[in-house]
Amino acid sequence: MKHATIEKSIPLMSILTLLMVMVGGLVEIVPLFLIESTIENVSGVRPYTPLELKGRDIYIREGCYNCHSQMIRPFRDEAERYGHYSLAAESKYDHPFQWGSKRTGPDLARVGGKYSSLWHQEHMRNPRNLVPESVMPSYSWLEKDALDYADVGDRMSALSMVGVPYTENQIKNAIADLEAQATPDSDTEAIMSRYDEKIPLDNFDGNPKKITELDALVAYLQVLGTMVDFSSQQAKAQ
Amino acid sequence: MQQSVTQEYDYTIVKLFSVMAVVYAIVGFLVGDLLAWQLTFPELNFDIPYISFGRLRPLHTSAVIFAFGGSVLFATSYYVVQRTSKVRLFSNFLSWFTFAGWNLTVLAVVITYPLGLSQGKEYAEPIWPIDILITITWVAYFINFVGTLARRKERHIYVANWFYLAFIITVAMLHIVNNIAIPVNMTDSYSAYAGVQDAMIQWWYGHNAVGFFLTAAFLGLMYYFIPKQAERPVYSYRLSIVHFWAIIFLYIWAGPHHLHYTALPDWASTLGATFSIMLLLPSWGGMINGIMTLSGAWHKVRTDPILRFLIISLSFYGMSTFEGPMMSIKSVNALSHYTDWTIGHVHSGALGWVAMVSFGALYHMIPRLWNTKIHSVGLINVHFWLSTIGIVLYITAMWISGVMQGLMWRAYDDYGNLVYSFAETVEAMHPYYFIRSVGGLVFLLGGLVMAYNVFMTIRNANKVPAAA
Amino acid sequence: MQDHKNKIDPNSEVETTGHQWDDDEGYPLKEFNNPLPKWWLYTFYATIIWAIVYWVLYPAWPLPNGNTEGMLGWTQKKQLAEEIRVAKEAQKPFDNKLASLSLEEINKDNSLLQYAISGGKAIFGDNCAPCHGSGGVGSKAHGFPTLVDDDWIFGGTLADINETVQNGRTGAMPAHLESADGAFTQAQVNDLAEYVLSISNQSHDAVKAGRGDTLFHGEASCNACHGDNGRGSLKDTFDGERLDKATGAPNLTDAVWLYGGSRETITQTIARGRTGKMPAWGEGFEGFGRQLDPLSIKQVVLYVHSLGGGQ
Repeated sequence: MKHATIEKSIPLMSILTLLMVMVGGLVEIVPLFLIESTIENVSGVRPYTPLELKGRDIYIREGCYNCHSQMIRPFRDEAERYGHYSLAAESKYDHPFQWGSKRTGPDLARVGGKYSSLWHQEHMRNPRNLVPESVMPSYSWLEKDALDYADVGDRMSALSMVGVPYTENQIKNAIADLEAQATPDSDTEAIMSRYDEKIPLDNFDGNPKKITELDALVAYLQVLGTMVDFSSQQAKAQ
Repeated sequence: MQQSVTQEYDYTIVKLFSVMAVVYAIVGFLVGDLLAWQLTFPELNFDIPYISFGRLRPLHTSAVIFAFGGSVLFATSYYVVQRTSKVRLFSNFLSWFTFAGWNLTVLAVVITYPLGLSQGKEYAEPIWPIDILITITWVAYFINFVGTLARRKERHIYVANWFYLAFIITVAMLHIVNNIAIPVNMTDSYSAYAGVQDAMIQWWYGHNAVGFFLTAAFLGLMYYFIPKQAERPVYSYRLSIVHFWAIIFLYIWAGPHHLHYTALPDWASTLGATFSIMLLLPSWGGMINGIMTLSGAWHKVRTDPILRFLIISLSFYGMSTFEGPMMSIKSVNALSHYTDWTIGHVHSGALGWVAMVSFGALYHMIPRLWNTKIHSVGLINVHFWLSTIGIVLYITAMWISGVMQGLMWRAYDDYGNLVYSFAETVEAMHPYYFIRSVGGLVFLLGGLVMAYNVFMTIRNANKVPAAA
Repeated sequence: MQDHKNKIDPNSEVETTGHQWDDDEGYPLKEFNNPLPKWWLYTFYATIIWAIVYWVLYPAWPLPNGNTEGMLGWTQKKQLAEEIRVAKEAQKPFDNKLASLSLEEINKDNSLLQYAISGGKAIFGDNCAPCHGSGGVGSKAHGFPTLVDDDWIFGGTLADINETVQNGRTGAMPAHLESADGAFTQAQVNDLAEYVLSISNQSHDAVKAGRGDTLFHGEASCNACHGDNGRGSLKDTFDGERLDKATGAPNLTDAVWLYGGSRETITQTIARGRTGKMPAWGEGFEGFGRQLDPLSIKQVVLYVHSLGGGQ
């Protein structure tokens, strides 16, 4: 076929163009849904608790991904600096993913448990109080703004529709679980049985009187990278 | 006879988009430079949520790519498709609809981002109702563009329109697939995809936003304005065929090079790297065709600042499209990824290629649209030099800081222990962040000079009675 | 417009395609029919060959439930394992000695000490510096002590630092004000603050400080932790007995403050109390960060000890 034929016909040109641009995506994307080994078979990864989920929403709202990655690469220096490289399994419930593309600040894939909640409180108030070299903005409003969590159950329902395995029980008890996680003195048996024994429980914002946005964000940060036990044989095989 | 054909064209819509392009350029550069200063002096976040870096950075990228770049593309594609088809735009209504839809999108973005309403996907931050508005606007654009082509009075579709058409079709595909999400309420939603699949789809989208929005479409623009301004035929028709099909086929595959050494499987990463390398020459086809078009007319570059804008943009295009494939090689990417090198690369493309070629096209088009002469050729020259100096400051600062930080992260002492903490590497960036901010400011000043020049041109045109 | 096959452009000798667009005003758009530049075409072929070779050697194409693995058998995970193996191998001679010798012995072996400090600095930079500052210079935020001076809270010997890093420390200053579940009035708290100001050689109200003195050594029994002279649990005595240095009650008579030495801050500290927490990184690991292995702990202890304040 001579090119003159194509360049005289809009339908031909449009359809050929569409076919050409579809190939790459089909070959690269579709197999990721089909090949089983794409997501490693490790235990421990669970859906976020209601408080962590709200914290993740705040992480997205503030655009943290613009400066922080959550993807440790399989390099020696990153292993020493940040810990075990990230597995695909660790973000399998992340809608959307937050791997990031830039490290103006350090990687956060395993920041969970690295610092105390007290440290996070001080750091969010003014990062330069703790790290003089930091260029991170202050997020002082987080500890002042009460967390609006009336809709957390709806959010979990929405996520369950795209494949996050929240149980009915978890969705039904979302608000109670959220409050329990931020109030470590309360009865936390229920939330632990619904999620995990080792979920972070703390008065994350240091203010026991109020559940703030800081509670949620710090709860989210404190769980990052902690779900998979890398000392287990199963994880070592990955 | 000639005059009547010209008067049939719908220039109003082209004028409107051109003016908005200038306005959005200033907004986008201004926000960008504010961000640069915030990284230099973090106190400039002022502890105000609405202007903190994380919320403003998407506003900068959306303002320059979609508001400024998009307006330039609407303006030029409507101009080019009319003139190369010798027919008025297909539908007045659709023209106005796309203008309203696109500017409403920009307005919605300007309001929602500072409020923290974001989907959390890079370059695809608009919340789901805005995504729907974009989709509808885009369909209208497609119909209007194709409808115009369908009524063309020339049998062959001009090469510029191939690129515009591919851009419109592909961006529609990317936008729709990447933004599928489940809404929670009127503002929030969760992506239908998670983790590794979401990452792949996002960078398939993200890379080809670069590939089709910022490359293919602007090549279309180049194929009209360079021969027109240089008054020379396009160098090679055959090259334009080969590089067009090669570019649109190969570009799509390159997305995974944004995900080297991540949890994306090795095989996908390899495809991303190899297709990026194969993309180099097809990308360069556009540069060759543009620059060789000037053979026999090089002397014009000395006297014509518009042509100078167009030619330097191709030089930056050639440089960025060489740098890109290099950075997609896994071992190079291991160093460059996550650093300012990527930022420098993006800006050599976005400022050096996209903005410069747009400036050239706007300077060519605006006097013709208003049937007048540019207010000041001298000021075009001033703008040219401010832009060039600004870009050079910007990208050299980012090259140095990017390579330096990448090397510092992996620096080992003689004992095999890491030399620098992360915080120390941040501190080392400070001088380069300062230089970058100054470079951005110089570039912004150039934009202001253009805005003044355009404003005066339009004002002068409106003063002169049309009959004269 | 009609097709004019292979017209010659009047300005040159190359053929155009004969098509023409936008010829009403300005220069009409035309296209030369130049062949593809040879160097361009051959370089393009070369990149395609390079890609094919790459696909043969490395994992490249998806297959039903798998992918082509490539002749080299390379994966990024194998690459990492090899990188780490080589690095570990190189450090082995040092690491073996580090493991077998005590902290004191290492401290005397200069070349081994240099190695340990280099490793300790690296660990410190990304794990400890976020609280204690780069190089241990402390931070503006209160409650995270500087490590470069001679003023220790829990002790600066190698053994003390080792204990601190291994098992963590908790510093608990109780609240004293009634409204914060303490046993004292605001006036009494103010008196105590004036006394602390007086022993740290700051301007104070002598009358209030006098009353504070009595409280300090009496009803409030501050001296039980901070010592009879307020010189802290590390150096001072209480009732003639050395204090337990694990208490971590700071010296109140010098110019070094953990939470700040202004009248306002001291009052606040006495009124509301303070809880300081140094996490455990070793055997007693309790959840911050990742547990450090014994060699890393040795290195970080020696590094902190070397910062200048070692006793």
